[in-house]
Amino acid sequence: MVLTLVIAPLLFVALAGVLQLGALRVAVARVRAAADLATLVAVNDQDDAELARSGSLRLSADAAEVAREYFARELELSSSLLDGGADAIAAAADVAAYPSAPAYDTRTGARYERPTVRIAAQVPVRTPVFGALVLRPVTTIEVLSVSSPR
Amino acid sequence: MKGVTAAVVVAVLVLWPSAALARDPFGDDGRPVSPEPERDPDPAPLIAPPPGIYYVTETYVADVVTSSGPVTTYSTTTVHESTGTYARALDTVGTGASSVFDGSAFNGRRALGDGRAVAGTYYENYVLGAGGFVPISVVFFQDDAEIARLLGATPAPPAQITPPSTSAATTRSFVPACCAAERPVASTPSRTPTPAMVIRPGLSLLPASAPLASLEVLRGRAVALYPRAFVEDREVPVRSWAVIAGDTGEALTTAGSGSVPFRTWWRRLAPPDAAYEVAFRIEVDTPETGRRWVDATIAVIVRSPALED
Repeated sequence: MVLTLVIAPLLFVALAGVLQLGALRVAVARVRAAADLATLVAVNDQDDAELARSGSLRLSADAAEVAREYFARELELSSSLLDGGADAIAAAADVAAYPSAPAYDTRTGARYERPTVRIAAQVPVRTPVFGALVLRPVTTIEVLSVSSPR
Repeated sequence: MKGVTAAVVVAVLVLWPSAALARDPFGDDGRPVSPEPERDPDPAPLIAPPPGIYYVTETYVADVVTSSGPVTTYSTTTVHESTGTYARALDTVGTGASSVFDGSAFNGRRALGDGRAVAGTYYENYVLGAGGFVPISVVFFQDDAEIARLLGATPAPPAQITPPSTSAATTRSFVPACCAAERPVASTPSRTPTPAMVIRPGLSLLPASAPLASLEVLRGRAVALYPRAFVEDREVPVRSWAVIAGDTGEALTTAGSGSVPFRTWWRRLAPPDAAYEVAFRIEVDTPETGRRWVDATIAVIVRSPALED
């Protein structure tokens, strides 16, 4: 009886931590999927005039705006997990479009051989159980997504 | 007393209705009935073209050179269709006059028999993109005529020739009676018959855009390729075309007349570092070229948006 009373709180804390960790991994996956989908959609938006002129794929002028818009839309679907508005998070994201290649990404140092869209964002996610366990109640997810036509 | 109490209870229940808090099992079926009539979505905002730019309703087809007796006319044929492009007149030049746009037109600027450039007008074509009007090509609409001085003792019709000049120059201004209001005509020595002309084929994404040797397309994105033909520096009309080799993807048709583009899209990507080589046979049948066939190929690289590591 005494042993149960001693062990039960520890088990409860461990169980809660595991569940919170699992929820956090789900949130990470959803945020990454949102960024990936946003960059893919933006890359799919091509400059038709340039294509007719040169026959080469080139990102449209509003590719970065398209990526940011779709990032916000996708994050909105996971708004219950976020510690902030989806629009605000997307607005704060570092979205860069490289319409023609080759190009260098000053943030990551990468060299892109194709027209590329890149999203780098910090997405705050609620982790209330961690907060109850004297950890951070909000965990920030660093997400980086890069897409190009290949 | 009990009867009165029961009557009061019943009256209260009847006169005090309230909505039942329950889920409507059929609430998700169909759209809710709205008392307001449905409205059409707002049309796309009208983006007015800048001054000088107008919507194209007559599309360039080819430069045409016709000879009627001693008079050779340089004109441009068009087709009444809208390809969604816009245009602006850049410069109108006279016979022999130079222009800053010489060499910029995809169809070139033809020369008269004496080497002077023909008269006409340069136009710049635009497409309306997300960022506004984007120039895509420059085309020259020729509009000129000349009269050839016939060889030997065969005189030109006197009614169509200006009084002879004492000058030794072989070229002089001439305005035929039939065309005085249309264009100036210059007389030049007749040319010797030229050998068979070299027909240069091409394929482009727009009727008046630059011919392409290779093309990148996104998987599943529909494209239209216009088979075209050029003689020297000008375009001649295509009578028909047919795909003779290559992977045509999901083509609607593999043959057609010159005014019909080849429309297709590709479902599959080509192997790595490879492209779909599509070969066309283009038929040209004009008075100056005769009925001839030329082959054109284009390398189509199908790409798909992908995530980088």
